[in-house]
Amino acid sequence: MSNAPVQGGGAGAPLSTKIANLVIAVVLIAVAAAAIASTGDFPKTMLAADVGPARFPIIHASVLIVLCLILIANTLRMPTIADDTPPVGVAGYAGVALGILATAACLYAMEYVGYAVATVVYMAALMWLMGQRSPLWNPVIAVVVTAVIYFTFQSALQVPLPVGSLFE
Amino acid sequence: MHEFGMLMNGVATLAANPMALLLSLVGVALGIVIGALPGLTATMGVAILLPFTFGMDPVSGLLMISGVFFGGVYGGSVTAILLKIPGTPAAAATAMDGFELTKKGMAGVALGTATLSSFLGGMASILVLIFLAPVLAGFALEFSASESFALAVFGLSIIASISGKSVVKGLIAGFLGLLIATVGMDPMGGFPRFTGGYTELFNVPFIPVMIGLFAAAEAFKSMEDPKVRLGMAAALGRIIPPWATYKSLLGVVSRSSILGIVIGIIPGAGSDIAAYVAYNEARRFSKTPENYGKGELGGVAACEAGANGCTGGALLTMLTLGIPGDAVTAVMLGALTLQGLQPGPLLFKEHGDLVFTLFAGMIFCYVGMLVLGLGSLRFMGRILQMPKSVLTPVILALCVVGTYAINNSLFDIGIMLAAGVAGYFMQKWDFPASPVVLALIMGPMAEANFRRALSLSGGSYDFLYSRPITAVLLTVAILTMLLPLVKRWRAERAGVSGGPVKATK
Repeated sequence: MSNAPVQGGGAGAPLSTKIANLVIAVVLIAVAAAAIASTGDFPKTMLAADVGPARFPIIHASVLIVLCLILIANTLRMPTIADDTPPVGVAGYAGVALGILATAACLYAMEYVGYAVATVVYMAALMWLMGQRSPLWNPVIAVVVTAVIYFTFQSALQVPLPVGSLFE
Repeated sequence: MHEFGMLMNGVATLAANPMALLLSLVGVALGIVIGALPGLTATMGVAILLPFTFGMDPVSGLLMISGVFFGGVYGGSVTAILLKIPGTPAAAATAMDGFELTKKGMAGVALGTATLSSFLGGMASILVLIFLAPVLAGFALEFSASESFALAVFGLSIIASISGKSVVKGLIAGFLGLLIATVGMDPMGGFPRFTGGYTELFNVPFIPVMIGLFAAAEAFKSMEDPKVRLGMAAALGRIIPPWATYKSLLGVVSRSSILGIVIGIIPGAGSDIAAYVAYNEARRFSKTPENYGKGELGGVAACEAGANGCTGGALLTMLTLGIPGDAVTAVMLGALTLQGLQPGPLLFKEHGDLVFTLFAGMIFCYVGMLVLGLGSLRFMGRILQMPKSVLTPVILALCVVGTYAINNSLFDIGIMLAAGVAGYFMQKWDFPASPVVLALIMGPMAEANFRRALSLSGGSYDFLYSRPITAVLLTVAILTMLLPLVKRWRAERAGVSGGPVKATK
């Protein structure tokens, strides 16, 4: 992903980075344009000396659009170079995707089974995902770490952690 | 010399009250733990502890709270350096270089530098509080909405210098952060903007975004590579930095401490702003600015000295004028009142002995923080001995619980997760995360104060150039924003006409 040293003038980038730059810029332009459009629903200010609630979002979104256009122009102008970073591969991205999904599942489960149960399962699953496959140590570590976190937050710091609707 | 005599009396009084000394150490230790845990800030620590101090004598109670305050500001740096989990918003600045040093196997020196710099910054601020409080208190009164707006713009101008490889990408990240910062209640009229009907979005929860962008994104990244997954995190190495190394940082620490004190005095500006401003100035004055962001000890020293320098500054206006400098001192203001003390100009006259005993205790708190900090670093550094296959799930579990603890909200965990996913891809495609966090801190401050200043001036924009502090800060902000761009442009031009250059687009 890094821009390699080049002989005088613009730096090059691998094709994957160029595609990512273009996609991100287009998505952000769409987001900024949507933000500007939705400021049309904002009420006019009641104070004569105020600029109103829409002014700052419009300024920020407009500058964001200009910057994204500059990024698109720069990306289209820069030469394509070979990617010198090791490829992540499908297995690598699958690992990340599973980690993200596990976090989302933990968040969803916490509402029903509470913090303790959801976190124990979540931690054990993540350890398994990261190659720690011990059937004994995975649950033991997960339970101990969850218990320490639970005690620290719930008892010592008086932060009420979710009990879960199934146990309420 | 009057102050020195009063301070010596305070030391004598404090020496006769070992319980107060013990409680202040307990406060510092608790503060370090609270600061190190993601989501729990010094403000929250002080608020949690406040009810426990009701039954204590004023010195013990207030010193315990001060200990939590000082320890909390410092504690955020530990997890920021070791795990890239900024325990506090100020530590997000420390994480920029601190975690890079950890990746280089220099975690110990980074932690030692952070501890020493926190101590020096904090001590300097307490000494200023003791000897210059009446002189500097008037400075706080010079700051109205227009100056606060200019300070926020100055803070935002740092984006250009923390943009990493690409200024354009850094600016995009910054303006995206500014746009996100407008989500929530309009600061003047109270109209909900871009909330989609979710009441949870009425106040932009920026700490979940920060935890997601820094810690969760890094955790997701470590799931990519099977070799990394089972490997050890990194070595701790030596803790106390070599004297020759630290001696070269003393200039940075001094400058950052002064900046921290000045920013602390300004009402509404806290240690997070001080840390970023100190970082930027350290980079500006450095002979090797290109090393910043890649693991530069000066970056860690600047952030920590600046953040802890803020503590005395914030206390200064709270004690002398009754104006809290930040959220923590606002809670402390309540603690003082509950103890029967009325902060303001008369406090020093009517309760001079007590105030100087507190000052002596605050010095003791910082010495205690240095000893406890250095003493516990080797133990805390054991975290790095854990295999990543265990450490990463622990980091993610801490991210989840730390985010939940802010507002007891599962919705916030969703925001953290979304920020983590965004942060993972931002990291992958060289979009820096720090400008987003900086924008989330400074954006609401800039907008609220600009609109307030505009209303106060009856709709005239004169305040932008007619008030000296505002004009100076805005000029410096413009120069700070433009200089890196001009330098890069000149470097590229030199590259076109001359030999090869390193690509910096």
